[in-house]
Amino acid sequence: MGSRWTWRFLALPGVAWLGVFFLVAFYAVLCVAFGNQDTLSQPVPFWNPLDWNVGYVLDVLSNFRHGGQFLTVSIRTLEFVAIAMALSLAIGYPVAYFAARHSGRWKGLVLVLLIVPFWINYLMRMLAWINLLSANGWGTRILHDLGIEQLFIWTGLLSTRGGWLDGQPSAVIIAFVYGYVPFLILPLFAALDRIDQRHIEAARDLGASPFSAFLRVTLPLSVPGILAGCVLVALPMFGDYYTPDLVSASTKTTLIGNQIDQFTRQGSEKVTGAVLTMLLALVLLLLMFYYLRTTRRAAQEAGA
Amino acid sequence: MGHPKDRSGLTRRQLLNRGAGAALAVGGAGLLAGCENTTEPIGASAAGPAGEAGKLVVPKPVGPGGLPLPRPDNAVTWAITPENQPISDGRPLEKGPLNVYNYADYLDPATLKKFQKETGASVRIATYNSADEAIAKLAAGAVAFDVIVGLTGSNIVNLIAQKLLQPLNHSYLPNLPKNVWPQLQDPFYDRGSRYTVPYVVWMDGIGWRNDKLEQDIAAMDVPWDIFWHSQPYRGLVGVLDDKRDALSMPMQRDAMRTGIRPDLNTEDAALVSHAGEELSQLNGICNVKVTITDYQTLPEGKTVLHHAWSGDLLSGAFYYMPKGVKPDVLSFWGPDSNGVVQNDFLCVGKAAKNPVLAHHFLNFMLDDRNAYDNFVNFVGYTPPQNAIDAEALIGQGLIPRSLARAVVRPDQFAANQELLQLSVEGERHWDDAWSKFKAG
Repeated sequence: MGSRWTWRFLALPGVAWLGVFFLVAFYAVLCVAFGNQDTLSQPVPFWNPLDWNVGYVLDVLSNFRHGGQFLTVSIRTLEFVAIAMALSLAIGYPVAYFAARHSGRWKGLVLVLLIVPFWINYLMRMLAWINLLSANGWGTRILHDLGIEQLFIWTGLLSTRGGWLDGQPSAVIIAFVYGYVPFLILPLFAALDRIDQRHIEAARDLGASPFSAFLRVTLPLSVPGILAGCVLVALPMFGDYYTPDLVSASTKTTLIGNQIDQFTRQGSEKVTGAVLTMLLALVLLLLMFYYLRTTRRAAQEAGA
Repeated sequence: MGHPKDRSGLTRRQLLNRGAGAALAVGGAGLLAGCENTTEPIGASAAGPAGEAGKLVVPKPVGPGGLPLPRPDNAVTWAITPENQPISDGRPLEKGPLNVYNYADYLDPATLKKFQKETGASVRIATYNSADEAIAKLAAGAVAFDVIVGLTGSNIVNLIAQKLLQPLNHSYLPNLPKNVWPQLQDPFYDRGSRYTVPYVVWMDGIGWRNDKLEQDIAAMDVPWDIFWHSQPYRGLVGVLDDKRDALSMPMQRDAMRTGIRPDLNTEDAALVSHAGEELSQLNGICNVKVTITDYQTLPEGKTVLHHAWSGDLLSGAFYYMPKGVKPDVLSFWGPDSNGVVQNDFLCVGKAAKNPVLAHHFLNFMLDDRNAYDNFVNFVGYTPPQNAIDAEALIGQGLIPRSLARAVVRPDQFAANQELLQLSVEGERHWDDAWSKFKAG
């Protein structure tokens, strides 16, 4: 009994923190989105839901319905995030798998190496890319020498030699993958590391090939890790606006985050910015629910 | 026809009124609006002519709390209200420290040191990143700033509406009539310079690398056309990441072609959206970049053609040239008329703790020697001073000849246009067009 109260008491600061800085803040965004603006072009939140003005929300929704710029950037954002997430998974899974199952006594070191990127600020890592990928940069030269540049030009992902920073969607996606892949590897590593070795041994004893054992045992058991990793990389990517600004700045790589940034920080339409923020949050909330449902089901199946 | 935002039982007008009510509660603009702000020419009063006569005039857009929006043909004298009076003559200097609110790197540290030596008062600088941020923080009143640097004609109405400035006592500012361009001693946005004095001016133009571009852009009939012929420089071309500056650019191009003077403060949705469509053509032509880092990317050659603020090219030439690249590879062209000029203010904050010292600082920055040093040693933006002469600067080897046009001339300033505050509706048209352009 006493211990239960202790834990409740200890949870209090965290709950209060979430309450104030998430729920109240999110409610404020709602009140701005369903509010109006004054003659100084400043938002006027309507705190009472009964007063809410749906005009701005309907305006944004009608822009979506009529194929306006918000639809364009939303589809583009989905594409970029989906591709970047798939690439992160393709790169991250083998790394996590190796670290969890085959690194042996080097496991500690491998884990440290995985965490090292977090020591350096995300912005710094992106700025480094700008020098590496500039026309005469080292990165550009290496990509050229390895023939990767040629591959990108063939596939139409790059328009000119050395033109990585000329406003290329591919550069933004590569930067996304580079910037966020550690967030995917860590939960995946944890999930793979937790898998009971005996399950795989059992599969092998029962005649499964290594590949089949991986496909039928390891992969399904790592689904919660895959999902957690994907959620962790997708959420920040959806709201990212500085990565496209830094490595591209072209209008072809404008994402929904850039539009929100434009309306809230540079423009006088802060209410529209709040509406876009709210709609993005709703979409992410749906994704979160899907994630929670899937992991719960996976946990139940594992329990059964 | 209803506006899409007219929903939820309240009409848009009611909503705006509610909004205005909130603004009044915050800024207390109502008092000012009802006060003796006088405006001059035809149809200039905030509400416009009343009754039958009102039907004969297209109403002018109005600003917060119904305040007039200053235009060259609608000059405004801001009232000095009983509760916000200028300081009296001949008061002694306070001890400081002087609190200055400014953009980052926008005052020469050596000039500041000289001020500290002269007055014995130290200077503390706090910085802001955007005019919006500055006004929001000033309105919140957390810090009582003595001097505010860098706000412009596009902010003046907000500053007055929210009562953020203190009226100036000109007996402390002898350098204003002595050194400053006559046209900025009594500007239309603040007749009698009651609340503002000019700090620096600049213009929008084209910055390019003359070693990478073959064309002599300055010699073209319509130099702005270069952006629509920039296919060879795909990926290396940029426009300013600012909705007003960027959307004004195709408007200026049209004006140069037709010879008709544009209104760069237009609130006509069709004109603004047309400008946005013309700008969007650049996506296909050169995969245009939208940045304000031209002061760095042009010297480094990461862009070779950029829509630019004049001061950017000078600061680029002063600070950002890579080893082995001479500043004379940079060129700048700006239009003689119908283009964009802008003017940053020096103001005294309403809640200034050191108002005499603040006036002294304004006068110090208007001194010809100090203004010159601040310009050529650090800021790169032209002070509107009679003594500044591009030819002399070139002669002294301070700036390359190819950047002579980055020094704004008084006749240029007079014949170009300032980008000024719009009404809420007008602002919305510019935001919409900008958001469409930036979505690619």
